[in-house]
Amino acid sequence: MPDVQKEVQAEDPVVGKSYSAAILVSSFLLVLSLTWALYDEFFGLRPWRGYQGRFTAAYTKFLKQEIPKQQSALRAMEESPRYKELQQARDAAQKAAAPRLAELEKQTSLVNQQLGEITDSFTTARGKVQALTYHLELAPKGSSSRNSRQQDVEDAKKEKYTIELHTKEGKIEKKEADFFELDKMFLDLKEQKAALTSDRIAALKEVSALDAQIEEYKKEQMTSLTPDQLKSLLRAAQEIPEEIRQINVNPASLALNNLGSGGLVDRCQSCHLATDPKVVPPNLVLTKALLGVGKSKDAPFTSHPEADLLRFHSLERFGCSPCHGGNGRAVSSVEKAHGRYEHWLWPLYKPENYNSGCQQCHSADVVTEYAPVLNRGKELFRSRGCIGCHKFEGFDDQPEQLQATHQLIKQLEQRKKENELDVPRLNKQADTAPDNETAQKLYAKANNLTVEISNLDARMEQLEVKTESLFREAKKVGPDLKEIRMKIHKEWIPVWLGHTHEFRPTTKMPQFRLKQDEIEAISAYVWQTALPGPALASQPPGNAARGKELLETRGCLACHSMGEADKAIGGTFAANLSRVGEKDNYEYLVRWIHNPRERTRPYCPYEKRDLGPEDYAKHGLPFVFDLDHSHCPNDGHQLEVQQPTVMPNLRLTIEEARDIASYLLTKKHADAGYAAAAFMDDKVLLDKGKGLVRYYGCAGCHEISGFEEEGRIGTELTTEGSKPIDRFDFGRLTEVAKRGIIIQPDGAPTKKESEAWYDQRGFFEAKLRNPAVFDYNRADPTLKMPKPNVTPVDITALTTFLLGSVDPVLPPEYKYVPADQRRDIQEGWWIVTKYNCMGCHQIRIGQQSVLQTLPMYQAENKANLPPALTSEGARVDPAWLQRFLTNPPLSTTDMNRNGVRSYLQVRMPTFSFSGNEIQKLVRFFAALSAQQSPYVAPKLEPLTAAERDMARQLFTSTAAPCLKCHATGNPAHDKNASAPNFLLARERLKPAWTGRWITDPAKIIPGTSMPSGLFRREGDRWVFSGPLPASFHGYTKDHADLLVRYMFQLTPEEQRSLLGRTPSSAGAGAGK
Amino acid sequence: MKVRHWAGLACVAGMALVLVSCGKKEESAENKAAPAAQPAAAPVDAATAGSVSGAVKFVGAVPKAKTLNMAADAACAGAHSGPVSDLEVVANASGDLANVIVYVKDGLGNRAFEAPKDGAQLNQEGCMYTPHIVGMMAGQTLSVKNSDKTTHNIHPVPKNNREWNKSQPPGSPNINEVFARDEVAIPVKCNVHPWMKSYIAVFKHPYFAVTDAKGSFEIKNLPPGTYTIEAWHERFGTVSQSVTVGAKEAKTVAFSFKPDSGD
Repeated sequence: MPDVQKEVQAEDPVVGKSYSAAILVSSFLLVLSLTWALYDEFFGLRPWRGYQGRFTAAYTKFLKQEIPKQQSALRAMEESPRYKELQQARDAAQKAAAPRLAELEKQTSLVNQQLGEITDSFTTARGKVQALTYHLELAPKGSSSRNSRQQDVEDAKKEKYTIELHTKEGKIEKKEADFFELDKMFLDLKEQKAALTSDRIAALKEVSALDAQIEEYKKEQMTSLTPDQLKSLLRAAQEIPEEIRQINVNPASLALNNLGSGGLVDRCQSCHLATDPKVVPPNLVLTKALLGVGKSKDAPFTSHPEADLLRFHSLERFGCSPCHGGNGRAVSSVEKAHGRYEHWLWPLYKPENYNSGCQQCHSADVVTEYAPVLNRGKELFRSRGCIGCHKFEGFDDQPEQLQATHQLIKQLEQRKKENELDVPRLNKQADTAPDNETAQKLYAKANNLTVEISNLDARMEQLEVKTESLFREAKKVGPDLKEIRMKIHKEWIPVWLGHTHEFRPTTKMPQFRLKQDEIEAISAYVWQTALPGPALASQPPGNAARGKELLETRGCLACHSMGEADKAIGGTFAANLSRVGEKDNYEYLVRWIHNPRERTRPYCPYEKRDLGPEDYAKHGLPFVFDLDHSHCPNDGHQLEVQQPTVMPNLRLTIEEARDIASYLLTKKHADAGYAAAAFMDDKVLLDKGKGLVRYYGCAGCHEISGFEEEGRIGTELTTEGSKPIDRFDFGRLTEVAKRGIIIQPDGAPTKKESEAWYDQRGFFEAKLRNPAVFDYNRADPTLKMPKPNVTPVDITALTTFLLGSVDPVLPPEYKYVPADQRRDIQEGWWIVTKYNCMGCHQIRIGQQSVLQTLPMYQAENKANLPPALTSEGARVDPAWLQRFLTNPPLSTTDMNRNGVRSYLQVRMPTFSFSGNEIQKLVRFFAALSAQQSPYVAPKLEPLTAAERDMARQLFTSTAAPCLKCHATGNPAHDKNASAPNFLLARERLKPAWTGRWITDPAKIIPGTSMPSGLFRREGDRWVFSGPLPASFHGYTKDHADLLVRYMFQLTPEEQRSLLGRTPSSAGAGAGK
Repeated sequence: MKVRHWAGLACVAGMALVLVSCGKKEESAENKAAPAAQPAAAPVDAATAGSVSGAVKFVGAVPKAKTLNMAADAACAGAHSGPVSDLEVVANASGDLANVIVYVKDGLGNRAFEAPKDGAQLNQEGCMYTPHIVGMMAGQTLSVKNSDKTTHNIHPVPKNNREWNKSQPPGSPNINEVFARDEVAIPVKCNVHPWMKSYIAVFKHPYFAVTDAKGSFEIKNLPPGTYTIEAWHERFGTVSQSVTVGAKEAKTVAFSFKPDSGD
């Protein structure tokens, strides 16, 4: 048995086999997985916990440091003389008011006491009377009980109550009073009480005013939060709960959601805590440096850098991801939350492209506040001629509109023709109709048709008006190549096509990838199809030195630049003119400077050809065509009579134009020389050239014979940003982009790797850097987009614009299409940027014009700048502004001048705006200054005879030198004038603005020549600061108002009499 | 759960300790740093102070001064018996150049100087500014007086200072203004009388002087050291040179301006 036992023992697994190792391992595994699970629970899956902890620590630390700083600032403020002065004044006022307050207090308590003493008796009496009256009303009329009840009421009213009243002297007076007396006493006391309360407020008036001043001063001095506010923030910060912070975008909209249900939820603030106004108030701006985490790359703790933006885009309505992109719901990792993973269609925008987020809702704006990068992108898209090939909704679409209008006119004409044929047919049928009834019907039908024809005429006439307007508005980015034979040296053209960016490094024209034979064919085509004439009148040479001066003073540099490379000064809106001498013909240049809109021949869209003198001669007409003579002599349709350029007419004399042209022709490289180009006249090249011009879309930017109605050849880009990535052709670079390999300019991969760029942004940037890049390694290159002349900054701007140009994922009500005045602003910006108004003018507060930055307009020469238009809508009458924009010289005879500021060298040009453009501009300025529309000029109180004399005396006194600076129309005087003629005031200005202007002009335009301090405030009126003529003694009205009223009724005769001189025949400058 | 609470508490306590100690350290550092950032106006030791004096010459033919036409305002023309010359270039036959402001451009380190209590003066007399060139310190009061029987406006057009433009009718009190920042030089003009021109040079220190009719100047009470001295003229721009001034040394320097390329 022992053996058996032994065996059993040996086989007993409990005894014989140890599982401790396995148990140990599994328990380790268990602990490990538990730890892992716990780690994931608290941190791994919830990285936001870590961020919250770190933020709370940093924030608390910051607040603790900030409290003593603000405490000492508060102490310093309390010790400042101004504060002490205010405080003392307040104490003094309080002290001065004290006796009166005590007196009022005493009276009030007496009244209260008396009220208390009679209230009981009064309410008892009133209750009794009311109860009995009720009984009386219940009794039937005429019954005996009614009479007795009536008696009861009378008795109750006469019943005497004994009351004990305190008197002023402190005694107690016993009184007997009935209901009426009590009622009167009660009301009297109530009235007394109310009077005492308002007396108290009056007595404290000064003290309260000073209290308000002290608060105001505190606010001014304590720019940060007060210690008390900081302390409460600190308490709150120490108790910040560790939780997901979520914005439920309101209103919950199914469309406002990129996941598919339940509306948009953004949890971004779970890590970006400082953007939560509940944690960090909007007036406290946290930066990494302030929080002491300046060096950390993983500290998303800063406040939103543009607090203002959040005011217009409340978090409740917009959340975060609609503007920034990303996946606002995800909280499990930074990559997920930022949407930077495959298949998420809205990844977070990179910092340099943040402005993309604005475009989705602001696609109708060309200027969006707070979005400078986006604005630049849009400006480039338009000014660099991208729009010439790529359609983009909302951008200039006049070519399309013109075509549609022409087509419509043709259809209507066809209909008219048919109708005209129908009328006699119907009449004839009626004449021979079998019965009267049928005849009547047919006659009526014929009559109706004639009326319809007349209506068609009216419609066509309106379409002609629209065509005229569209012709004024339609502009091409590049010059009109129909004129090239008259304008350009023949040999220069092929050199330009081959070396566009070398010849003019700042040009807007992109560089096409052309082979020599293509260059020759294109050059030959545009040369041979260009207009041969009529030849230009020959021009005598001008004075180049004077030309240089004119170019620098008339404002040319607001758009054009002179000088090469880093020596260039001037604007970038138009061409750099440094090498014009190498390419242009003198006669053409003179005509261009004299009037850039002048064409050699008008184009008739109806006949699709340029008309010549022969067409006019056929109808016995002179070959005259301009905005006033814009009908086709053959068929009466609207002609294109102007060059489609944005360059305005500066209304220079022909001599001045010659001077400037002569100067510009001296601008050339000393070694400039161009080889003869005989191929330009080779007729064989014509067909090939035409094909290439079409293939490359030259007509997108240039007017070219035979291509007047050519459409845009590129892809429409309106929603390019939301095109799925697989529809972008990366060509042989697909894998390279996915792996993030950096490529050389020609597309060849390098050894270096960076972030993957297989996304829209990567595509746009690579394409803009080198449009041929995706042809890399392709046997048969297919891409024809030319290389735009853009800097890396420009590429970022254009990429930002394209990235934001998406199919809206937000519901339509989120799109910025304001119905109020903001719409006028939105529309106005398109015109303002189209014509580069900001090259000369300051329009937005804080914006600098190009001219302001030029060396010739610094220091005291600032006075030579064109006017700032920051208050234009408030300054001028809109009807006048409309006239002025149509006719800036305000004259039909004397064109070589400025209508308002005749003293300025810089010239307000004539833009020949369309009516539509002028209307938009006028509304734009009105809206910018928040002016009501329509404007009704206020009726000014007429001057009395005495007032007229006073105003005259003041105007001519040595104390008020108004007429020394303001122009008067007398050339000798106006030589030194530096301000507009007063005669313009009545039609041009608004009286309210004029009043504000003359009392403090520096407030409206800092740095203006008009001095401040002409008037001083005396009580509630303005009084002239200088010595006053004797007639002003005893005049109690506002002096500034008197002068404004005088100015607004000033006549030329009155002005001449003021100057005490005989009338001058020179243009009096009256607003016409 | 309890363990976590304790751990949490410990953490918080630890953090608080760290915070408190950090806060304290930085506070004390700030207290120490405060006086260094704004050095008090160190008095210049008169015992060792030296001076720089000299003369400014114009080399070449002196441009002829234009005659001003004051016909536009009888009050101006009437104030002068004869023709009045433009003060842009005032030099005698031997080329001594007046109205040049000579000043220490560099070399004072971070010494700070208090602005004098007395104001700098600018008078309008006979529709001309006197003096033509004003040297003054930042923070000093500029007192502008109108001695004429006509209204002037005073319009300084600074680059780095606040711009103002005030009207001053005859008989009105002086206009007192302060320029807060140094700037050489602020043009001053009167929009009513376009020929009136003056320049105000503003410095952070008192070491400047305007040359007199003989072209001479003197900068006194200068502590020993090496300085860049610059001379500024409204038309000819600036010239400068380096000067080392020893204790109690009276250094003499000469500046010369050449004709400008214009006209």
